[in-house]
Amino acid sequence: MFFSEMTTRDAFKLTKKKMTEYQTEFLERMNAIEVDAHWFRRVFHTFAASFLFYYLLPDEEWINSVKIVLPVIIVLCMVVVEYRRIRGDLDHQRFFGLRNYEKKRPASYLYFGVGVLILFLLFPQQIAIPCILCASFTDPIIGESRYYLGKKRAYAIGFVISAFFFLVTWYRADGWALILVSLLGATGAVIGEARKLKFVDDDFMIQMAPAILLLLMWQGLLAMGINMLPPPLLHPL
Amino acid sequence: MENKNDTRKENIQKLLLRLELWFAPVLIIVPIGASLFFLWDWYVRGFSTGSSLYDGELLIGLLLLIGNLMFDIFFLRSLRILKKK
Repeated sequence: MFFSEMTTRDAFKLTKKKMTEYQTEFLERMNAIEVDAHWFRRVFHTFAASFLFYYLLPDEEWINSVKIVLPVIIVLCMVVVEYRRIRGDLDHQRFFGLRNYEKKRPASYLYFGVGVLILFLLFPQQIAIPCILCASFTDPIIGESRYYLGKKRAYAIGFVISAFFFLVTWYRADGWALILVSLLGATGAVIGEARKLKFVDDDFMIQMAPAILLLLMWQGLLAMGINMLPPPLLHPL
Repeated sequence: MENKNDTRKENIQKLLLRLELWFAPVLIIVPIGASLFFLWDWYVRGFSTGSSLYDGELLIGLLLLIGNLMFDIFFLRSLRILKKK
């Protein structure tokens, strides 16, 4: 009886009202969610490991150009955003999870991005992959372990984890190269993480320190006629 | 009615400003998607053809998946705890 007396207009009004109520409730629920900055930063680190997808991109001429141009554009955009934030054009509050010391210097995500860009463009994937894995996983693992176990044990764990990444990614190398690279790479990663520099973030150093050490070793041995580099780990589609 | 509309607009504006809420699903879904793609690639080009050349894809896929899941659990748990508060 009720429905038969109800006009189309009334039904429309009622539906609209219900929809509005539901939308308001949903928005309020969403706004009530609080994100923990500490774990947000950790997950941001591990997320960066998915950049390794870069090495699966096909080896075609135009895609090879995109592989250079796109990362450069992304990092340049990050530079512009950070420049505007430090100048005060962009509200600092909008950048969730920034540390206090990042207020007046570029934030660590920019250093991370620059590090990954340099590794992609200037280093062979055999060196770049374990270094990106170290920045993505070793850094947050050291951070968490430091909190529960203290500095020394945290760096020891970081060393073992980094060595594991080098062992896994260089498993096709000769035995002596595998051991040497794992020890040298893990040492570089831990030093890069442990040495706190005023203007350079550890997110950059944890990638570049092992990469430079391995590059020097590779080139030095190459000059002596020994190529320690294993075949590439990832193959383009 | 106007008050209700204002509250809704205010809520939408607040939500748009909270970039972390927009980023959170991306931070969880993208790495898992990438790791599954690595594993799929290993299965198609390596496992099904009997080639060990693509074992690297398997290793990276597993590292990505396990590493990300470990941290995602803590991240999601932290969201729930704060929501309760």
